[in-house]
Amino acid sequence: MESRVLKPMLAVYVVAFILFLYGPFFVLGILSFQEGPDGGPQFPITEWSTYWYRQIFGLTPPSRIAPLPVGEALIRSLILAFMTMVTSTVLGVMSAQAFRRKFRGSGFVFYLIVLGMMVPGVLTGLGTSLLANNVFDITRHWYTTAFATHVAYTFPFAFLVMLAILNRFDGSVEEAAWSLGVSPWKTFRKVTFPLIFPGVLSAMLFAFTLSFDEFPRSLFAAGGSEDQTLPLAIYGTFSVEIHPNIFAFGVLTTLFSFALLSVYGILMGLSVRRARKLAMQEEIA
Amino acid sequence: MSDATVTAKRQGPSWLILPGIVWMALFMVVPIAMICYVSFWTQTTFNISSTPTLASWKQFFASDTYTGALWTTVRIWLIVLATTFIIGYPTALFVGLFVKSKTLSTVLLVVCVIPFWTSFLIRVLAWRPMLGKEGAINIILMKLHIISQPIEVLLFTELSVIIGMSQIYCVFMVGPIAFMLGRIDRNIIEAARDLGAGFGRIFWKIIFPLSLPGVVVGAIFVSVMVLGEFATSSALSGRKVNLLGNIIVTQVGSLKWAMASVTGVILTVVMGMVIAAFLRIVDLKREL
Repeated sequence: MESRVLKPMLAVYVVAFILFLYGPFFVLGILSFQEGPDGGPQFPITEWSTYWYRQIFGLTPPSRIAPLPVGEALIRSLILAFMTMVTSTVLGVMSAQAFRRKFRGSGFVFYLIVLGMMVPGVLTGLGTSLLANNVFDITRHWYTTAFATHVAYTFPFAFLVMLAILNRFDGSVEEAAWSLGVSPWKTFRKVTFPLIFPGVLSAMLFAFTLSFDEFPRSLFAAGGSEDQTLPLAIYGTFSVEIHPNIFAFGVLTTLFSFALLSVYGILMGLSVRRARKLAMQEEIA
Repeated sequence: MSDATVTAKRQGPSWLILPGIVWMALFMVVPIAMICYVSFWTQTTFNISSTPTLASWKQFFASDTYTGALWTTVRIWLIVLATTFIIGYPTALFVGLFVKSKTLSTVLLVVCVIPFWTSFLIRVLAWRPMLGKEGAINIILMKLHIISQPIEVLLFTELSVIIGMSQIYCVFMVGPIAFMLGRIDRNIIEAARDLGAGFGRIFWKIIFPLSLPGVVVGAIFVSVMVLGEFATSSALSGRKVNLLGNIIVTQVGSLKWAMASVTGVILTVVMGMVIAAFLRIVDLKREL
């Protein structure tokens, strides 16, 4: 049978595919242990060391290679990602809730929102900075113009996630609450929201990671070089010489992302377990 | 309570949609309209004034640098679209159709997605020590005595940009295709097999057509990202490959806002045509 030949062949292919995906990371990880400060960002490794990791945390004596300007940029990026996450999730839940009823122009509004994830960041960034410079005459900052463009990018993702969740949502529990005279807002808080919470978490995760790593929009819309976000700080090192400190930083950010992902996994697991527990209590009662 | 009021309440009031519409209008539609408007402004050395002129448009189409960037963008987009599809489809086929266990296919998808939690710029940069003259690929090939001289075309060429983009974006092909393949009713394939169809025939007559919406969604993802690219091309080509995005960045860097806007409008038009063409093949809203 073909599948007896085809399946192992495809399996081998998938292994090669994963190597292709991860190859650069292995090289990056290896080179991050290059000796410093004289070792370059290429092979061979002159001597294994953790110099570049120590340099990121300011634990090495000053050398001709300036440490990455990441400290404040990291905090800015985290705050921006948090603001974006909250705003786009709220907008996403509201819009998806409205979409549960067919309204006039709903097709148009759907594409208006979804376009936000399709329009390249170069364009929204450029347009927003043109508006800020020539129409509103305001200074561009990461917490104003860049924030606005970030939300215009992440809100569609939150919206689609919530739409998918609410499409499969059983409305009869809400009806039960209303017929018992509970107000719509209280019903949403006490009945609907706990049920859609896993979806809300996913929407939040999407928005946070997308905004945290967002680069083209920030490049145009965050203005001056004094208050850079993290991707902008990394981009700044592009034009000048590259040193292994950027590789060490890459390894660290990857570990940070895993930590974030684990928190998400734990929260998800807890909410699933709680839902199961509630269902069991209901059965007993 | 009457049925009508219950239904009205259940679907939620429609004013809830307003904040979303306002946000997208203000921070997406108006900015793009502004780009179109500014493309007709007059550019002086360090400034722009709103006196209407076609000067920047004429300059764009008269210059080989700018029109060249347009064709480079289209060429790289088509090549990367093809490579991501060719690289991604077999993986999607395995994950979506051949893997019987749900856990394994989830694990494989997660493995594909993990690299995305590393900064995009660092992922791009990681290709440099891989492809360079003293890079990992050359070292390995020389150790294996496949080549005696390092291959120099690997880095700072159009090829390195294509390799980098293919790796970064191929997962966006794998996901949607694997999703569509996973939804195929296995009984159809069984039935075709019982009727004596070979795998090739089953693939072309059943599997591929049913996976087509996934291919289109993946193609939309890859297209919009590649067309708006500039970081990969500037980091991996040593500024030799100029895409429309690169033109916009350099023009803004030298405060030539009008020319950046012209390039922006052209990019918008290209993008619009591509998305419209893909959406004609598949109704995105229905596939959700």
